[in-house]
Amino acid sequence: MSTRTESVDLVGDEAAVNLARAALFAALVGAFAYVSFPNPVSPVSVTLQVLGVFLAGIYLGPLWGPIALVLYVAAGALGAPVFEGASAGVGVLVGQSAGYLWSYPLAAGVVGAVVHRSTTLRDPASAGLATLVGAMVLGTVVIYAAGVAGLVVVLSLGPVEAVTVGAVAFLPAEGLKIAAAVGIVRSDAIAAA
Amino acid sequence: MTLSYVPGDSLAHRLDSRSKLLVQVGFAAAAYAYTTPRGLALLTLVAGGCLWAAGGGARDLWGYRFALPVLLVAPIVAGATLGDPWFRVGRAGDTALASYRVAVVLVVAAAYVRSTPVRDSRAAIRRVVPGRAGVFLGVGVALVFRFLPLVRHDLLAARTAIGARGGGERPVRERIRLVATAGLSRAFARADRLGIALSARCFAWNPTLPRLAFGRADAPALALGSGLLAAAAAAIV
Repeated sequence: MSTRTESVDLVGDEAAVNLARAALFAALVGAFAYVSFPNPVSPVSVTLQVLGVFLAGIYLGPLWGPIALVLYVAAGALGAPVFEGASAGVGVLVGQSAGYLWSYPLAAGVVGAVVHRSTTLRDPASAGLATLVGAMVLGTVVIYAAGVAGLVVVLSLGPVEAVTVGAVAFLPAEGLKIAAAVGIVRSDAIAAA
Repeated sequence: MTLSYVPGDSLAHRLDSRSKLLVQVGFAAAAYAYTTPRGLALLTLVAGGCLWAAGGGARDLWGYRFALPVLLVAPIVAGATLGDPWFRVGRAGDTALASYRVAVVLVVAAAYVRSTPVRDSRAAIRRVVPGRAGVFLGVGVALVFRFLPLVRHDLLAARTAIGARGGGERPVRERIRLVATAGLSRAFARADRLGIALSARCFAWNPTLPRLAFGRADAPALALGSGLLAAAAAAIV
């Protein structure tokens, strides 16, 4: 019987911790799909995935935030029930919510880039209110632009129709999530960076 | 009921995860290339066959019920106009076909999810995505599967606790903040413990993965996947 030896190529401590954080954040974004709140201004209830995207950009920064969201999308594609309504599968990535899902890593990157201004992270609480809100508004614009474009392509809708189906009922809730995210950052409850 | 992996011995369970991924990609491409009544009728048979081969049924599709409202409303919105003729049947028909296309692609995805364990998906990523990116993605995806139930439980426990203390009286923004803060701080605590545990247990770039091997049963699946891709390419060119 032959034996085989292989050397082990260890992952550095910092990369291991960053991977753990990215994976946990991806799981958190997925878990946010299960928590819904009544929406005071629209009949569609609010789920918190987009809040997860904002927080990934704010706490993990412009490099690891997008990686966390890539893990989220990949895990969902391979069967983890993390998409809207606990659905999963590659089909969802080419379905009606394709634009939103593909935009999440990009939006997390945009939020992270505006808040941290470089790949070295700073304490998000030290960013001004205007920077935080501006970053998240920009992130929302990225997500909804991509989401509406996705509806135009996937469901053969016109731009106005796509906005009617995919943005009007959901946009008001984004204000709530931005306000909640500002509250989380300012509350000092999270000391991550 | 949530759509998830169900252990079994069906034809799809015995296939290599890479063949199943190829079938999914080929199917989606074909569905986009042939969005006609005849094309979609044929693809419906293929999609039904895939789900049947995975031992699945209508119950598995229930997991996608949240997609239904948009798929049903879209043709109505597309057809409606302000002013004469008020409803354009042709436009609504186009969007209805597009909606149906999304639905059949979801059926094939359900067959994959039902018949493929996480370990196999992870091994497939490792082999399809080259280098360290593939290792990273594979490990990350496996960790998401592992931690999703725990993080979800953290969030629901936080929400129940807030509700029990009269949190229902607070404004929605405040409730969202409280639940998300609890979820976030627990997720970070778990991540730090996990990071230390990974380092302590020699987390490596070259882990030992389950063997993946194409078997005889994979031949028809690979043929189906590549046939669908070729058909889609032919329609575009």
